[in-house]
Amino acid sequence: MKHHIRFKVNGDQYDLAVDPWRTLNDLLREDLNLTGTKFGCGTGDCGACTVMLDGKTINSCLTLAVEVDRREVTTVEGLAPSGEELHPIQETFIEKGAIQCGFCTPGMEMSGLFLLNGKKTPTESEIRTALSGNLCRCTGYNKIVDAIAETGKKMKK
Amino acid sequence: MSKIQFEYFAPETIEETVALLQAHGEGCHVMAGGTDLLVKIQHRVTHPKVLVGLGKIKELKRISFSLKSGLTIGAMASLADVAAHPKIKKHFPSVAHAAASTANVQVRNKGTVVGNICNASPSADNIPTLLVLGSRVNIAGPDGETRMPLADFFLGPGISALKPGQFVTSLNVPVPETHTGTAYLSLSQRGQLDCSAVGVAAMVVMDKNKCKDARIAVGACAPIPMRTTAAEKMLIGKPLTHKAIEAAAVRASKETKPITDVRASAAYRWKMVAVLTIRALIEAQKNARKQ
Amino acid sequence: MEDNTIIGKDIPRTDGRVKATGEAIYTDDIKLPGMLHGKLLRSPVAHARIVNIDVRKARALPGVKCIITGADTPKIKFGNWRLFPATQDEFPLAVDRVRFIGDEVAAVAAIDRETAREALELIKVEYEELPAVFDVDSATAKGAPVLHENSPSNISIDRKIQYGDIEKGFAESDYMHEDVFTVHAVSHAYLEPCSSVAQADIDGRITLWTSTQTPYIVQCLLAATLGLRENDVRVIKPYVGGGFGGKMELRPWEFCAAFMARKTGRPVKFTLTREEELACGRRRHAMKLHSKVGFKKDGTLVAKDLKILLDGGAYNSMGPTATFLCGNFGAMLYRYPNYRFFGQHVYTNKPPAGAMRGFGAPQSLFAAETQMNIAAKELGIDPIDIRIKNAMVTGDEIPDVATISSCGFIESLEEVAKMCDWKKKRKNLKNGKGLGVGCYSFISGGVFNWFNTQYPFSSAEIRAFADGTVHLLTMASDIGQGSDTALKQILAEELGLKMADIRLTAADTAMTPQADLGTWGSRVTLMAGNAVIDAARKIKEQLFGAVSAKFNLNVIFDMECRDGRVHAAGKPDRGMSFGDAVAFVQKTNRGEPLVARGSYTPRGKGLVSPAFSFGAQVAEVDVDKETGNVKVNKMWTAHDCGTVLNHMAVEGQLEGSIQMGLGYALSEQFVMDNGRTLNTTFLDYKMPHAMDMPPGESACIETYEPEGPMGAKEAGEGLASPTAPAIAEAVFHATGYRCKDLPITPEKILKGLGKLED
Repeated sequence: MKHHIRFKVNGDQYDLAVDPWRTLNDLLREDLNLTGTKFGCGTGDCGACTVMLDGKTINSCLTLAVEVDRREVTTVEGLAPSGEELHPIQETFIEKGAIQCGFCTPGMEMSGLFLLNGKKTPTESEIRTALSGNLCRCTGYNKIVDAIAETGKKMKK
Repeated sequence: MSKIQFEYFAPETIEETVALLQAHGEGCHVMAGGTDLLVKIQHRVTHPKVLVGLGKIKELKRISFSLKSGLTIGAMASLADVAAHPKIKKHFPSVAHAAASTANVQVRNKGTVVGNICNASPSADNIPTLLVLGSRVNIAGPDGETRMPLADFFLGPGISALKPGQFVTSLNVPVPETHTGTAYLSLSQRGQLDCSAVGVAAMVVMDKNKCKDARIAVGACAPIPMRTTAAEKMLIGKPLTHKAIEAAAVRASKETKPITDVRASAAYRWKMVAVLTIRALIEAQKNARKQ
Repeated sequence: MEDNTIIGKDIPRTDGRVKATGEAIYTDDIKLPGMLHGKLLRSPVAHARIVNIDVRKARALPGVKCIITGADTPKIKFGNWRLFPATQDEFPLAVDRVRFIGDEVAAVAAIDRETAREALELIKVEYEELPAVFDVDSATAKGAPVLHENSPSNISIDRKIQYGDIEKGFAESDYMHEDVFTVHAVSHAYLEPCSSVAQADIDGRITLWTSTQTPYIVQCLLAATLGLRENDVRVIKPYVGGGFGGKMELRPWEFCAAFMARKTGRPVKFTLTREEELACGRRRHAMKLHSKVGFKKDGTLVAKDLKILLDGGAYNSMGPTATFLCGNFGAMLYRYPNYRFFGQHVYTNKPPAGAMRGFGAPQSLFAAETQMNIAAKELGIDPIDIRIKNAMVTGDEIPDVATISSCGFIESLEEVAKMCDWKKKRKNLKNGKGLGVGCYSFISGGVFNWFNTQYPFSSAEIRAFADGTVHLLTMASDIGQGSDTALKQILAEELGLKMADIRLTAADTAMTPQADLGTWGSRVTLMAGNAVIDAARKIKEQLFGAVSAKFNLNVIFDMECRDGRVHAAGKPDRGMSFGDAVAFVQKTNRGEPLVARGSYTPRGKGLVSPAFSFGAQVAEVDVDKETGNVKVNKMWTAHDCGTVLNHMAVEGQLEGSIQMGLGYALSEQFVMDNGRTLNTTFLDYKMPHAMDMPPGESACIETYEPEGPMGAKEAGEGLASPTAPAIAEAVFHATGYRCKDLPITPEKILKGLGKLED
């Protein structure tokens, strides 16, 4: 039996009937065409599918769509304030060379932002720990860590 | 093996949950954070017919503490909440530490301590610490609320003592007596935050230099997370000298029954139980002195 | 090159914005009307004859639109070594025989993924199991089960390199050392799982969007296996989430998507799961290396005899190239006056090994560099000093194989020693800490035309517009390394334009000029870069002529394109804006647009590569002697990659290499049991996390490579090699345990120290 769910994604209200076994990742990518959120492993190890649920980062591949009923989801598409303007974390990722193939990027930005939302000036080790659920095969992480630190400084201003 | 299909219920009370579990019987699974369960479902390891999500039962999110009744962690309290809770950090630092070293940020934001216990995985990072602290699980079921020592909860890999219709509503950790120190150490081939190949928790209660009580629990080295009681007995009532600690560690290692798997060989695990037990006891002793 | 305005600057990558916002479209993001979802049925057994396949039940499942097995296909074999058709040993879907767990047996296309998956379970395959072999020794033993009838010894190809007199060399040596090394297979572990979408048009022509490094190779081999003409297949590369060598061949799902799109008249998409990737995907070759080296007392190298068995898995894949390259890399870095190499590529019943970052170098150089460290120790010479003594220099040659036209190896060694305070640190580190060095040399693209392309190796087309912009078209494939940005930089510099003045269309075989061999072997910057320069110079020639005529310039004047203008060199007022100059040329040619084609094919550059890069790396480790855990405290790197086009990009390559090298050295491996991969998730395939990455310092030794675009050569792939030998030496320095068998696990260290029984 399909479940009726009502939830917000990036501020937009959705009313949908979904099969209970479908994941949030599947719903975002297939039904809402929000393909910025990736699917990399399905086991919660790579973090490419990271989104925020009520302000906390989670793996959208390990979340059922029915679980987000009456809750708020933020995806990478919800970060930039407009088509022209970028979120500071997006700007800084570009400037600092934190992006290569880009497949981990949306998830990395989400994890970075979750950390910075709680603390604007994290230590390097706190940043690295905050990325424990995000794998990257291109950058060796260092430029991502730099970009997150720099974003924190920008957001503090 | 077949199509993944199940019914889903999101009850708002414990009573409703028990009723659902009873009504649907076998094939009905309780889901807390779902971070383990959904992987098992996707990999066709678990084939639920019905999932009962606990997300809408408000009281299960609660974490409460009092000196009298100790720490109570609700079934839906996330690993992140436990890791960051000021009272837990103060009174049960090793519980907070174990929660903080489980998996990664995203999993901790959704997964729960109770869920980690209920999976009954031999390598679950939270269990050894909770075992040495003498924790208990509160269970709701058709016959009402019951309480069970955590030590009796595990029957085998992935098998718990829960009976049909029952589920764990919360976990209780008694307040340790003064001069108690605990520590949890784990090993894996990668970094600090990873699925452990070996994990050892230790608790000691010190009376000056003498060890009044000692408990050691080992993860990932037997079909269930286990206490090494013979090793504990070697320490109780004696001064915690390095020699005594070493002897107990060797004993602890002998009590475990590790296997070889993708994460480590049995021989390595045996060896590491001893190494980690020594280190955990020394750290626990240090922590006891801090009080 | 202080004159440059764009080259050598930290230019952020031009696709950064769409990647930061999530707008970048990767293959699995593509959805077409009516699209079906495909799934592959894979062999559950390592070696078997297929007796029967019954698809009736699966076909009857509602929602299933198409099921194919090998019998339905044209049964045409493929393989990247088109020059030697005998090496093409793979069918898109198994025909009568499966050779590894995961070999593709059938494909289903259905209305959704779950239905396709369910259908797989309803296909009944009857296998007659055959004896299987899982390592090179048993595969080459007498009477071993044979995987491919045309290779009765299971050795599919062998390669030799020989020069000097090896026997005489050893006779003249004062010191000799002989070792057997084994190195393991690892996964590319690109974050984007493989994905392909195919659509058939009204004439049955195919458009394939696919996560690939080599659109042209896929186009040719897909056409061949479908029995179509090359021009009937259009391959488009969307954004690709990493490749590292793992996406450079035709893959069964590309064939199946196209074949079923033609059969059903509907687009078909395949996306692999991570479990499929790890259990059945291509991987770096495991190898057994037998190496003997001879030195003079003073540390001068005299001879090396290298024999390698490559564990190729069930099919050739890129193994033949790896076989040859191992021999080439074995002769690199140092002057070996007498050298002999014999490599054999061996079939085993495991997932095929293919190309992976470094491509023979990480394995060959692990052996070479470890042996160098052993020799240094035993001869009582400092490991860096013994390397400097024997290091290659500009102008050196590997007879009949390669010429080194630029080399900053000695400078790299000296620089890295300075950066880490080598001598002092090496003497003073104690208590489980150790310091070790490893080096590399690598190619900038391949010369040997194994694919037998009939086109230039790289091509570029430039269309110039009167509004002052240009459109660059190239088949070169950016898979994350940043080649789109590098090519734009080269073009902007050459034409004196801004990055924003350049529009780029890349990697669409129907739209971009024929051809480009793709992204592998660090070939793109050098080869596609040279093609871009070639085309740009043709544009400039026309612009210079027109401007010269217009301003009545003396014929002896040099001309230049700079800051958006075309003018007499050093005299910006004697000329006009780039756009006006284009308009002028166009007018002169009565409306004909200003377009130029450029190309590059290496000629007269030996067998291997037009250029070679070099570098040295030092690792400091901290070993817990009770648990065997290794923590890498710091890495220092100095490398020669010619002219640095973009520092930030080069640094990104370096840091990414260290992550991969760290995993290769310490934590990544496939745990196998009789051909079955046991660790098929990222939980148990342990690639390093952010927390595992050591801090690092790096220096670029700038040389000028005459064959490279603006003096540039390879950066980033070669760096996959030095990390493992550097860490292994540091572990030896810290503990006395010498690893000759990667990876360096805690258990091996404890066993090596006698603290753990076998």
